Amino acid sequence: MLNLLRIEWMKVKNYRTFWILLAIVIVSVPGLSYMIFNIMDNSFPKAKNGKSILGSPFAFPDAWQSVSWNSTLLFILPAILIITLTTNEFTYKTHRQNIIDGWSRKQFIGVKLVEVFLLSLLSTFVVLLTVLGFGYIANKVPAGISVWQGSRFLFFYFVQALSYFTIAFLLSMLIKRSGLAIGAFLIYMLLENVVVGIFHNIYHINAMEYMPEEVTDRLIPFPYIKALLDVGRWEHLIPGYLAGAAVYLFIYCLVMARSFLRNDL
Amino acid sequence: MSNILSIQSVTKFYGKIRALNQVSFEVPAGSVFGVLGPNGSGKTTLLGIVMDVLKASGGRYSWFGEPPSEKQRQKIGTLLETPNFYHYLSGERNLRIAAAIKGRGTEDIPRVLEMVKLTERKDSKFSSYSLGMKQRLAIASCMLGDPQVLVFDEPTNGLDPVGIAETRETIRQLAREGKTILLASHLLDEVEKVCTHVAILQRGQLLMAGDVNEVLMNEDFVELGTGEGLQAKLQGLLAGLPGVRQVKPYDQHVQVFFEKGVMDTGELNRYCFENGITLTYLQLRKRSLESKFMELTEEKNKSGAAVAR
Repeated sequence: MLNLLRIEWMKVKNYRTFWILLAIVIVSVPGLSYMIFNIMDNSFPKAKNGKSILGSPFAFPDAWQSVSWNSTLLFILPAILIITLTTNEFTYKTHRQNIIDGWSRKQFIGVKLVEVFLLSLLSTFVVLLTVLGFGYIANKVPAGISVWQGSRFLFFYFVQALSYFTIAFLLSMLIKRSGLAIGAFLIYMLLENVVVGIFHNIYHINAMEYMPEEVTDRLIPFPYIKALLDVGRWEHLIPGYLAGAAVYLFIYCLVMARSFLRNDL
Repeated sequence: MSNILSIQSVTKFYGKIRALNQVSFEVPAGSVFGVLGPNGSGKTTLLGIVMDVLKASGGRYSWFGEPPSEKQRQKIGTLLETPNFYHYLSGERNLRIAAAIKGRGTEDIPRVLEMVKLTERKDSKFSSYSLGMKQRLAIASCMLGDPQVLVFDEPTNGLDPVGIAETRETIRQLAREGKTILLASHLLDEVEKVCTHVAILQRGQLLMAGDVNEVLMNEDFVELGTGEGLQAKLQGLLAGLPGVRQVKPYDQHVQVFFEKGVMDTGELNRYCFENGITLTYLQLRKRSLESKFMELTEEKNKSGAAVAR
């Protein structure tokens, strides 16, 4: 696998678009959180003791949830990176050439899945650095709490990232064209939200929580108005959400393998 | 002689279209094997199947007498259809990737670049190459690591006359070195000039396969001429001769086609003389692959039409 990754690295290390997209992915995470932090800090009325009426969402322990949640808004950026790299292979027909030159189809798809995993890890690592930055530098560490309290949100972020990025990869493997795949990814993101909004919030069909993206979205609840969340119910459902995410990941891989291993390239 | 590639009853459907129908043949070691056929006859589909980029609907194939695997493909230099490279990388970097996938080092890259005269442009991006340069880079990529087996699909596509001549010379050179070459082409003279074996495909059907000399041998025929007014008699006479496959008038002369291996021009001459016809002209002809090809495909068309009726 290391050798396969080395070859994948040769494909991207001199590809400027890759570096630009990667830089955008990395910078956007602290960037967006800093924007939201600024808006909250400056635009909302403060209580007499100088504290915001919203609490301190960017101080420990809430920084874990806030930064993770903010960063999920940016999934389209790494998705574009994945879609670009994958559909390039189809555009240049290098997916065929790689097989002709001596990769098996399994190796081709396997190394790409590992890359999706690595990008999820990298993006989680950037979130971690951002959380630490806000927790230590932009705010004082509140007395009497552990810095790692709430760090499970980082794991939830990773699960959500892996799930979204795999969807992006699946779409690019099935659609094979970058523009269409990016469009499909965006439309699916919006469409699912609308469908869930209608059936869950209006008709109260709870099963809608287990839609492919919603199930991972629910791992990190909206951080700024805590009163909206029934914490007890959420805690109770976390294992179900995680199991749901795992089932979907398995299905994505299965669909991909069926299509790529069996069809003409 | 052992077989490098063995294809057994390979069939391929694209939806309802049958692109290949029960194609079987063997490629012997050390042969230059031409797969010949017009555009759309299934050549590229067949090569795509044996390189695992297409999946056969039926049939089997084996490389080096073993079931197919990616390890075998690493030992084969293949140019399939169009040159496929990363457009944003230089020619050399593309070759590095190909070499890494084939499990070979980079030390062979300067040699193959020099071979196709791309050394000067090795650092230019692939997207800036002309069609001919792209094709040459693809040929260079095939040569990486000096493989013993090469597969070329229309290797002279997009090349200028000099490039075509050089590529043919390269193929001949490789053949002299004892390499096995599988060459698909719709250019008959290309195949005729370099191949030792040939398979002829038409609309997915294998019409004939074998040694070029064998394929052409049953194409030997004789043109005969005689005095005026005797042509009809000559035709009648020849039609009764054992071993004669076909007799047809051709300009002033008569063409006689024989079954494989029964023709003897001296015997023929005597037969005619003894039956009262003096030949004024007797010429042994060898048909070009082109006329063979035309004849085969015409026969096929006729029989196809007959079935349709």
